[in-house]
Amino acid sequence: MTRVFLVDDHEIVRRGIAELIDAERDLEVVGEADSVGRAPARIAATSPEVVVLDVRLPDGSGIDLCRTLKSSNPELRCIMLTAYDDDEAATSAVLAGADGYVLKDIRGQNLLEGIRRVARGESLLPRGLAAKVVASVGASVGAPASRSDEPDLTLRERQVLELIADGLTNRQIGERLELAEKTVKNYVSGLLAKLGMERRTQAAVYGAEHRQRER
Amino acid sequence: MPEDDRLAFPDAPRSELEDTLHDLVAHAEKVLRTQGRLRHLLRANRVIVEQLDLDQVLHRIAEAAVELVDAEYGALGVISPDGGLERFLHVGIPDAEVARIGPPPRGLGLLGAVIDTAAPIRLAHLGEDPRSAGFPAAHPAMDAFLGVPIRVRDEVFGNLYLANPRAGAFTAEDEELVSSLAASAGIAIENARLYDATLRRERWSVALAEVTQALLSGADDNALAVIAERLAAVVGADLIAVVVPDDPAAALAEQDPTLRVEIARGEGGADLVGRSFARAGTLAERALSTGMLAASDGSQPGIPVEGAAPLGPTIALPLRAAEEQLGVLLVSRAVGAARFDAAELEMASDFASQAGVAIELSRARADRERLRIIDDRSRIARDLHDHVIQRLFGSGLALQAVASRHPEVRESVHAQVEAIDAAIAEIRTAIFALAHDDRGEGASLRRRVLDVVAESTPALGLRPRVSFAGPIDLHATGALADDVVAVVRETLANVARHAAASEVELALAIEGDRLAVTVDDDGVGVDPGVARASGLANLRERALAHGGDFTLEARDDGGTRARWTAEIAEEEGTT
Repeated sequence: MTRVFLVDDHEIVRRGIAELIDAERDLEVVGEADSVGRAPARIAATSPEVVVLDVRLPDGSGIDLCRTLKSSNPELRCIMLTAYDDDEAATSAVLAGADGYVLKDIRGQNLLEGIRRVARGESLLPRGLAAKVVASVGASVGAPASRSDEPDLTLRERQVLELIADGLTNRQIGERLELAEKTVKNYVSGLLAKLGMERRTQAAVYGAEHRQRER
Repeated sequence: MPEDDRLAFPDAPRSELEDTLHDLVAHAEKVLRTQGRLRHLLRANRVIVEQLDLDQVLHRIAEAAVELVDAEYGALGVISPDGGLERFLHVGIPDAEVARIGPPPRGLGLLGAVIDTAAPIRLAHLGEDPRSAGFPAAHPAMDAFLGVPIRVRDEVFGNLYLANPRAGAFTAEDEELVSSLAASAGIAIENARLYDATLRRERWSVALAEVTQALLSGADDNALAVIAERLAAVVGADLIAVVVPDDPAAALAEQDPTLRVEIARGEGGADLVGRSFARAGTLAERALSTGMLAASDGSQPGIPVEGAAPLGPTIALPLRAAEEQLGVLLVSRAVGAARFDAAELEMASDFASQAGVAIELSRARADRERLRIIDDRSRIARDLHDHVIQRLFGSGLALQAVASRHPEVRESVHAQVEAIDAAIAEIRTAIFALAHDDRGEGASLRRRVLDVVAESTPALGLRPRVSFAGPIDLHATGALADDVVAVVRETLANVARHAAASEVELALAIEGDRLAVTVDDDGVGVDPGVARASGLANLRERALAHGGDFTLEARDDGGTRARWTAEIAEEEGTT
């Protein structure tokens, strides 16, 4: 029996996925969380094999959460589940160091199949995808069309990005570059900000809510 | 007083008295006559001073002078800055005759002598004076001559010319009276000029206010055109043009060699729009480099391109918004027209600099508007993502769970779920379109494809459905992306030309190691003649170059499916 944990802020989505998973003989949902804040403790308490997590969560980014989980337990298998499109999802998955991504599509049993495959130790990400993400990240940050107030990646950020693409966790990157894990985490956050991932994930929501409160 | 109104006495001894009385009467008459003439002068003065329009004033002065000395002919010449006569208004010669005489005098001969001496010249027979240059053939005969300068402040503005008094010759008194009239004329002309300047200033202010209003209301997004049009409406110009640096980026680096005519209104303006000319050495260049107004009398053309009609006085005004040079406003009058005077130059400079401010404001407004739209769009995208998709997805999952428990409804649930999935895919594309508004170079393949679809929509007469599957932007970059854009454009154009379709679907998908572009339509089907057309051969070649293929085939349910595939390189674009 494969133990699955769900992180998604939409109850209707968690309920749907839970029903879907529980209908399968070989899979079971052992726990749920609706935010970055609540997830780690519950995951530690339920010790799942596979975590399915949304890229965008109300109090933070699923990318950061995934990296944190992987750092403390590299054996944990993670699947990013997102309502965004493939390009966005693939980039998120690579940056998160996840084992795969699944779009919020209903048909095709993608999610169930994906959970089984990552539980067996397979990666859902095609070979070469990480390299393409690194190339695309370099292009989008370095492109003249990008905002001038977004500086190019620093040398450190580039190093971190390369190691992310190699599938290293924050802890492993820290050991490799002789940095504290927390420092690596900051580099990752900076990287996401420069890529606009933050903007496209949680920052937009908070920005909008913040503005509304100011009025 | 009538001449025959005499006192008569019968006897001789009274004749002395009579003589004395006679003298007295004659004197009185002279006084009266002089008084009459003075009254005449006063009236003339009043008439000319009453006028505020400069042209009217000049005409009245000439008429009053002719009347005052009872001359057959009179004229008023205005002296141009280079010393000749700029204008020549005459009284006494019918228009038809004027036409036969030919061009107006330029200030040679005796007319010039009055200009040179800047003092009255009175002659009994002008033909006898050595300074006389004679008359053109059709000119009426003139004999007695009186020329008097008109001063405005300390500067000689022009001259009054009078000829052929009915009394035969001009008297010293005539000269005195005309000189006196000339003095009033000077004041009248100055008033008229001031009035004219005020009027013009007012017109410029109104025009400027209109420009500012037009720019701020946002009704017209072409700020430069608004400026050119309003300016043309108020200033006596025959051509108004706005020239801009050909390449704004290069202009910032101050190395741009060419300027392009962006807007042109007036004489031959339509032919000038879009033409470019070397920037170096032009009037516009002078305005751009100094940041100040540059003027030319016409010897330096404003728009030095081949075939442009020659123009006279021209001014070039730099248009700036903040520190950015937007371009140059060129205002030209026809050859031989009056040059722009100091007041006009000053006002034009004001106009240009305030127009710059207005453009800046209008840009700021456009920026705000754009930000608002972006805000709106990201809010909509967020709503779609956070609420609509999640609910559709959650409900779909619940439906599927029901179906797995109740096999008897599986079929109908599947149909529903398929519809929900299609809706989610469409919303996903909509979110992408809303959130990625970056155009032009460097835009992602999906963005470019959406733009091509939008471009093709009018020709197709319908909006194709678009779907993306797989990380297309990550896999297709560079030459492959360019080819996909070309393929989508060409395929949709084919459908528009031949298919007469009522539904068109475009799908881009990553299928394993391939990228597939599929265009389905429900049109009239494949024409074998079309299938061989060169456009299709071109599509096939593009596919083969990427290790793919292109097929065009009839669909079972009518219509056509065009399918183009390409291999995606394993690690394309990596460093």
